[in-house]
Amino acid sequence: MSLDAIVTAAGRGGELRAGGTDVTARQRVGRATAPFIDLRAAAELHGIEWRADGGARIGAMTSVAALVTDPQLRAAYPALSLTAGGLATPQVRAAGTLGGNLLQRNRCWYYRNPRFSCFQTGGEGCPARDGLHLYSAVIEQGPCIAPHASSIAMALLAYDDVYADVHGRGRVPLADVYGDGSDPTLDHLLAPTDVLLAVELPAPTLGEAAAYHRAIGRAEGEWPLVEAVARLVIDDASVITSAAVAVGAVAHTPLRLPEVGAALVGQVATSADLLAAAALATERCSPLPQTGYKVDLLRDTVLEVLERAADAVCDIPPHVRRAD
Amino acid sequence: MDVTVNGASHLLDPDAIAIDLIRDGLGLTGTKLVCGAGVCGACTVQVDGVPMVSCLLPCAALDGRAVTTVEGLSGEHPVQRAFAAHDALQCGYCTPGFVVEAVAFVDGWRAEHGDVAPERTMIADAMAGHLCRCGAYLGIYAAIAAACAGEHDEPGPRPARIEAMEKVTGRARYTTDVRLDGQLEGVIVRSVKAHAVIRSVKAPDGTTMIDLLPEDRTVRYAGQPIAAVTGTDRAGAIAAAAQVYVDYDERPAVLSPEQAQRANAPLVYADKAERKTAPPSGEGPVFPAKWNGNVRGPSSMSWRSGTADRRITKARESNDHRLVDATFSTAVQVHTALEPHACVAHWHDGELTLYVSTQAVGVVAESAAKRWKLRDDQVHVVSEHTGGGFGAKTSLTNEMVAAVELAKAAGAPVKVALDRSAELTAAGNRPGTRSAVSMLADAAGNLAALTLDVHSEAGVATGGQVAALGRLIYGTAPRRMRDFDIITNHPPGTPFRGPGGPPLAWALEQSVDEMALRLGEDPITLRRRWDGNPKRHALYDWAAALPAWTQRLTGSQTGRFRRGVGLAAANWMYFLDTGTKLELTVEHGVVVARCTVQDMGTGVRSVIDGILRAELDLPPERVRVEIGRSTEAHGPASGGSRTTPSVAPATQDAAERLRTQLKAGSGSVAGLLDKADGTKVVGKRKRDRRGYVTPFGMDNLSMGRGFSGAVHVTEVEVDTRLGKIRATRVWGGVAVGHIYNERLARSQCEGSIIQGVGFALYEQRHVDPATGIVLTDNLEDYRIPGIGDTPEIELHFHQEGWEHVQGGGVGLGELATLGVAASVGNAVRAATGWRPLELPIRPDRLLEGLRP
Repeated sequence: MSLDAIVTAAGRGGELRAGGTDVTARQRVGRATAPFIDLRAAAELHGIEWRADGGARIGAMTSVAALVTDPQLRAAYPALSLTAGGLATPQVRAAGTLGGNLLQRNRCWYYRNPRFSCFQTGGEGCPARDGLHLYSAVIEQGPCIAPHASSIAMALLAYDDVYADVHGRGRVPLADVYGDGSDPTLDHLLAPTDVLLAVELPAPTLGEAAAYHRAIGRAEGEWPLVEAVARLVIDDASVITSAAVAVGAVAHTPLRLPEVGAALVGQVATSADLLAAAALATERCSPLPQTGYKVDLLRDTVLEVLERAADAVCDIPPHVRRAD
Repeated sequence: MDVTVNGASHLLDPDAIAIDLIRDGLGLTGTKLVCGAGVCGACTVQVDGVPMVSCLLPCAALDGRAVTTVEGLSGEHPVQRAFAAHDALQCGYCTPGFVVEAVAFVDGWRAEHGDVAPERTMIADAMAGHLCRCGAYLGIYAAIAAACAGEHDEPGPRPARIEAMEKVTGRARYTTDVRLDGQLEGVIVRSVKAHAVIRSVKAPDGTTMIDLLPEDRTVRYAGQPIAAVTGTDRAGAIAAAAQVYVDYDERPAVLSPEQAQRANAPLVYADKAERKTAPPSGEGPVFPAKWNGNVRGPSSMSWRSGTADRRITKARESNDHRLVDATFSTAVQVHTALEPHACVAHWHDGELTLYVSTQAVGVVAESAAKRWKLRDDQVHVVSEHTGGGFGAKTSLTNEMVAAVELAKAAGAPVKVALDRSAELTAAGNRPGTRSAVSMLADAAGNLAALTLDVHSEAGVATGGQVAALGRLIYGTAPRRMRDFDIITNHPPGTPFRGPGGPPLAWALEQSVDEMALRLGEDPITLRRRWDGNPKRHALYDWAAALPAWTQRLTGSQTGRFRRGVGLAAANWMYFLDTGTKLELTVEHGVVVARCTVQDMGTGVRSVIDGILRAELDLPPERVRVEIGRSTEAHGPASGGSRTTPSVAPATQDAAERLRTQLKAGSGSVAGLLDKADGTKVVGKRKRDRRGYVTPFGMDNLSMGRGFSGAVHVTEVEVDTRLGKIRATRVWGGVAVGHIYNERLARSQCEGSIIQGVGFALYEQRHVDPATGIVLTDNLEDYRIPGIGDTPEIELHFHQEGWEHVQGGGVGLGELATLGVAASVGNAVRAATGWRPLELPIRPDRLLEGLRP
């Protein structure tokens, strides 16, 4: 199906489908219904291009696995590759796509259970807020407390000037795709007919070190309790010249924490500096009865990625490279 | 649109899901549907050589591509041979997915690195998208490493598990794979209310529907079966079920143990007659006990309880430091067999054939005959391979009733298989518990008194026996052991691997550990003094000599990562089915063994084969084992760890009888078989020396003499920053006497330990407090251990002490899991100074516990 045909079909109703991993999972629990409009055949959504300014344009249908294994992407955007390598499982990374990951729906166990109704499903109220919300957001943005599920969105927000290229709308700052999280009926602000074509990243930052951490109970294959990504540039005098931190699983949107980055720039990367900056992350928190643990865990996950980025121990294990 | 599957071209419906095309469309049933959420990997296929989960793959994604399923592998790929050789499987249901993934990994690895074994963590990362509930992970590590190293490029010797090649090739047929001509699909309509009287149930005209409500037309938990309907396929049946209208007369529900105990709480069972309908949560008889609202009990197994109570009260008044007082709790754990409960029912000429996923072929056959008023020879139950059970598949369960009734109503074979949501909601669980312990030592450090009040939370079920098991260990000091049930409108608990044992150990073994700390004593020294069981004493000697034990850190630690070693002991009963028989027939030169027993991954097929080949000195091709169907030779249900101690001696007896019948003398009987066609003998399970504890069996279950023992030593690493606990190494000592098949016994014990780690750290059923609906009805939210969570495990079998038992050995499948969580708890205490009281020890609980 050509892009024009896709846009026409979407205008008649139906859900856009990229790799299909999230759509099919929701289809199985009655949270997605046919018709589906497959994006696979549209050439415009494929491929990675390198612009003259050194930045990349990554097609929305690029697989998550390719974000991990593409040598140029890995070198240019380590925070993105590390994050992509840490999410889901090898089989899902192989089938899932960049666009699908960015626009997936949340994982709240009430939303995913067809026996419940909530803001997200056309109903009123949030059963998680009064019920079990152990895995819910700890930063209040609005009535829905389902954390955003896209680790890649979080990683991309750690870059300045990242854009979503949306058919018919042009370049939209990626942060605007998610907004402020106040609308409890949505996980992102693109319309059902909006086709995400690609994501555009700025030119790579020379000398940056990055780290990603996913705080989970088991070793692998789990949605994060808290996740964080850090990008640091440290000069020869050990002074931090540039710092960006973003966090996930704590709010209804993926979140950049500019206050943490700002606190680090100009500092020598001592552990006290890093801890003080990481602690700023907690100021946004307003925990619910069962999410209190996420406050300290957020601080310590941010600290974890700051320390690791500062130590520049951030290579992708070789086994992850296999799945391209 | 088209796709090539294993070399053959097929047309595609873009909106179909790949696994439905593969399994239902093409009949390639090696690929299994388990979680339907991309978590467990059982449905993994290669798409252009890259493993993907076919449960989440729209067929549109396959256009123009080549799919390889397990059937499309050679059948002799080094990975397949390696899985068989290293016993990297038990029930086998997850195995095709693992194999398909591992083939891609191993081939890629060898192409890039040559024939060298990868590190363990690399294998773990590559296999992170797969789950094995039996816990065959150590075999999987070994198999993949060996295949990478090129050790399985040639065929090897026969594997320890004789059906291994069937399972690694996807040929093994499970109940979910059965498809008879004209077969319909059935779906169970379940209650969405936690407590209601059902006024009426209506389906559109023309729908075949049967009733599954109890006599009082009351549903007492969300997920309870109400009715079942058919469709020509699963989608049709689901659509039909969605059309069923249920008129609920909703009643107030009890949705937490706290609420259940409040004054004026609504009653789950209103009167004596209703109480009698409560299902049992355990095995064996439910002892009578008085009811007080929604609390039932106590049921006591005490000894000088007044003395125990008095001593403890006095010690508490005097703040005696030798009194350990604590309340422990455990979460509801769900069996999570990867093959769901499933049944295909087929009526033919007044007879009934049932294909079932069960651990009790004989029980199902007997119950079916009784329920549908058939003679024994009119019921045929088949369970060739069972994809895991763990205690949840020991009776005639409601998917079987639904299938049989629907098949009768529709006049066609009907399959009913639970989906993962139903399986994780309403197919059984290990009840949650709350255990208040008081343990007192005297000045000499001996156990002076013990009181234990356990409240079991088995939803609508009753009969928890946790404290009762504490009567059987640590001598004869005065003790008051009381069990209570708290009844709620939650799904019923059922037997689960060592019912009552792990919660008892969680409370008791941590209390013993705490007492050792109070007395400033080595926990093994204390247990040696308290514990009279000689077999466990041998295990204490073994554990005390382990370098991990002698060199363990005991002081307080600082720093982010802390290590600790903990120990727990366990005690279990020896059960058997004294009526077990095994029939041997010589057919075309082959000795064919038949018994009404089943193999859910534990390996009894291989035990029978091994005994026959050894006793009769036969090559593999001269022996065939036909189990998994109801026959005239009565065999045990696989529950209570009774399978091997029942079947193995009967097999030995049968072998001796055949030798006598053939007048074979000593040496191989192979030369006599070709002329002995039709020779038949029946071996019996001979009586143990000194008989049994129970004078006669109840439901074919007898308790033999002697207690089995286990000791687990576990090392953990605690990340105090991010709240993560890893069980890094476990040593398991098991005293069950003779080990019939060492490799399979190891697999059982390893799997028991891994399930114990899951119970300790991850597994918890969550129920919505407002509706009673289970939220953890999927494998993302119900968290079982993955390969990366697997500790290194060393096992020690103490094989003496069971000389009075026929064959010299008893069962171990339950024993080997009982103390694991407690050993983890003690290890966490040793590492951090904080004693976890609640299971599972989730990151948030650990972080809370460590907060200064």
